[in-house]
Amino acid sequence: MPKSSVFSSKALHGFKQFVRSEASRFLALALFLVAVFYIIPICISVYMSFTPLRNWNIDRYAGIFVGLENYYRFFYLLANDPSVKSVFLTTAVFVALTLAVNVLGGLSLAIATFFVNERAAGGLQLLWLLPRMTPIAVYSLIWYYFFHPSSIGTINGILYKLGLISKPIDIGQGIIPWGAWAIIVFVNGLVGVSYGMIVFTSAINNIPKELVIAARVDGASNWDITRKILVPMLRWHILYVTTWQLLSLLTTYDHLFLLVKWGLVNRDYGTTWSLYIYNTAFLTGLQDQGLAAAAGVILVIVSSILGFITLKLMGFDKLIKPPRGDL
Amino acid sequence: MIPSPYKASSGEEGLATGLTKVQAGIITIIILVAVVAGVYYMVTQGREAEKPVTVELTGDFETDVVNIGKALAAHGIKEVKYTVWSGGDPNSVMRVYGIVEAAARITKIWGDKGVDVKITVTTRYESDPKIVYSDYISKWTLGQAPDIMANGYVYIASLAEEGYILDLTPYLEKYSDFLEDFYSALVDAMKYKGKIYGIPQDTEARPIYIRKDVAECAGIDLTGLADKVKNGEFTWKDLYDLALKAKNAGCAEWGVIHRKGSAHPDLIQFIFAFEGKLYNDATGKLVLDKEAVYKWFATEKAFADAGLLPSDMMGWDWGKQIHPTVVNGKTLAFIGGVWHWTEWQTKSYYTDPATGEPRPLTAEEVHDFFYYTLFPAGEPGKKPVTLSQPYAWMINSKAGYQNPDFDKLKDLYLKLAFLLVVKASDPDINAIHSIISSHLPVTKSALNLLRDSSWVADLVNLPTIVSGEVKNSISDIVARTANPINVAFLEDATYMLDYTTFTPKHPLYPKLAEFFAEAIDKVLRGTLSPKDAVDFLVSKINADPDLKEAVEIVGEIPSGWSLTG
Repeated sequence: MPKSSVFSSKALHGFKQFVRSEASRFLALALFLVAVFYIIPICISVYMSFTPLRNWNIDRYAGIFVGLENYYRFFYLLANDPSVKSVFLTTAVFVALTLAVNVLGGLSLAIATFFVNERAAGGLQLLWLLPRMTPIAVYSLIWYYFFHPSSIGTINGILYKLGLISKPIDIGQGIIPWGAWAIIVFVNGLVGVSYGMIVFTSAINNIPKELVIAARVDGASNWDITRKILVPMLRWHILYVTTWQLLSLLTTYDHLFLLVKWGLVNRDYGTTWSLYIYNTAFLTGLQDQGLAAAAGVILVIVSSILGFITLKLMGFDKLIKPPRGDL
Repeated sequence: MIPSPYKASSGEEGLATGLTKVQAGIITIIILVAVVAGVYYMVTQGREAEKPVTVELTGDFETDVVNIGKALAAHGIKEVKYTVWSGGDPNSVMRVYGIVEAAARITKIWGDKGVDVKITVTTRYESDPKIVYSDYISKWTLGQAPDIMANGYVYIASLAEEGYILDLTPYLEKYSDFLEDFYSALVDAMKYKGKIYGIPQDTEARPIYIRKDVAECAGIDLTGLADKVKNGEFTWKDLYDLALKAKNAGCAEWGVIHRKGSAHPDLIQFIFAFEGKLYNDATGKLVLDKEAVYKWFATEKAFADAGLLPSDMMGWDWGKQIHPTVVNGKTLAFIGGVWHWTEWQTKSYYTDPATGEPRPLTAEEVHDFFYYTLFPAGEPGKKPVTLSQPYAWMINSKAGYQNPDFDKLKDLYLKLAFLLVVKASDPDINAIHSIISSHLPVTKSALNLLRDSSWVADLVNLPTIVSGEVKNSISDIVARTANPINVAFLEDATYMLDYTTFTPKHPLYPKLAEFFAEAIDKVLRGTLSPKDAVDFLVSKINADPDLKEAVEIVGEIPSGWSLTG
């Protein structure tokens, strides 16, 4: 039977077949939404990145083509501007560390709650969902006061009361860059952990109990069960959560925006790539949408490559293999 | 092999062939209708725009207003809507209410002359004028920008460059008498590439306030200090010594504090106080004067190192930290502005020592607490300065767009917006703004009104204000601030304008100013030394091809210079 899908080598033929198929009608609404809210904005961004658009003067600049000028400026800034350099270093550190916290934290929580009684597990999980349920501004404000570099800051207040410090520590601005990085990783890490935890918990609940019971009968410890049964069975979920979180971390900026704006963390080492794009397009003295669009397009390309690598490394193609049919 | 559950069986072939002919036909019709409607709309719009209605300005305000009113009424317009935005300190609300009042006055003229048209004005006032500017830019193309905006003249360059604001030069040709009432330096500030893009709304000086009680506590004699500053005999080194004395005597927590967030405009005074340049008139380029900027950074660093200036100064909160520190006497000096004089009289920054409750200061208390001088010279042999950032009323180049038949009546709407601004510059409106917000008047006739003690005495009742909305909105502020002490302060501080400086009108200046703010923040926090911060600025300028082209880097970092010698 010939394999027919949009991924076939005869792309056009495949596309035609897809349009004619029932699937196209089934997916029409979803595809329409994707086109309107993703594809078209991406096309506009790509177009904008080839124009000198600034100060939102679309009437004047949208028709001018400047070729790769914005891309050249972007890489020139990256090579020469100390602030832009720090932004990219920060992005790399932030994404790597927060991703580790999100995936490993979520996994540890799911496994830990698996071994405690159900009631306690439910309460614990609810607690970890709080960061995700709290509005962004409120959640950021909590950590703003927690890390505040004065005696009103929770950490400083405690250390001061304990007599461990004589004057407040400015973690986000004074300990550069690791203090700033620690705060942004901590704040975003806590939000992301709950996501992995939910996915992993529901996956663990679907693992046949017989496997665990049999292992217990054979004298396996919690650690053995985790290592030999739970983690291998969660492989696809780990793949999914890692990829998903990687891509969302590359594009997240809401908490960071507030923490930088309020001065809790250093501007250069609290700003990531996506926040830099936002600032360049909307906030700087000269709002430079052409440059921001170029930086955005490169971010999309980098995200796509990283997403692709993650899926390849973890064997996504094996996950989407059709059922073998030897039931 | 079992059949794939995802594939339709052959029995459902009819359903599986995608769109039916009927469906395809409906979609095609919808697309065709949309295209035809779009083309029709564009064509008819174009036709209407072919016959624009115009009215020539005569230079006589009332005649012009009536002519425009009649022309509008003849085209069936009963109501003209305008939007005005501005921002700044809480007392400067006349930056928007001035237009509301002008609209009421014009509507009244129309009513008296039997013209049945009225103007309604929607206002927006923000504490941060930079947000107003950013929103103006981002909303302009969307057709959501205000018709009139009062904001710092520094934005004229970028707004004029983008075509976002109206060139007022042709309108002002007929209104030369009106323009002559303004101080000429302020009118010059409204010009960009030889054209006038704004009408001055207010101006100010930026004194250094010194707490008299803190000075007395530390045994510092302030007699004649303002004159010493004026003559350049008292420099930043001397202020440093006084600050150290006050702190060591336990009379104040800080020696000097200043604004947060931005280096523009207050901290830019340091560059001028060290006789540095920020703009080259000959080449039209911005200037980074390494020597002056280094001395600015080193001066602030010396204060911060001695614990006289908070290292996180740029991150302080205006309402919770900066003002309370100043009005409660926790600092010897404050790099402020004239408008703070009345802001302290209306906002509850002060904690009453008797009750422990926050409340505003009275005019008498402000007078008793604060001594003021020019911004001292950077070092011996240099001159004191201040810095003015006149506010300008700017008119959207599409002003009136939200009204009917804009393409046809555009000329009327634009000219009416201009006349609104002319009316909002009436002496009493400008003088009221000056008194309640402690800004310096921009016209000679407004200054004359301020000198009329009977007018000031009667101001509490706002006898000349026509608009009920304006009366209600400002009566509380007027009640607290319409006071001879405040008028005397304005009169007394006016001499500072002889020493004033301006920041450049260059489209890239706001960007450069942001770099200054970043650099001084790093210096104060100790992450960069003053020398490294200057190098940081140089590398940031060189990293941006546009800025590199637009900025001349001059001078060298002086070796071995320090404020304390």
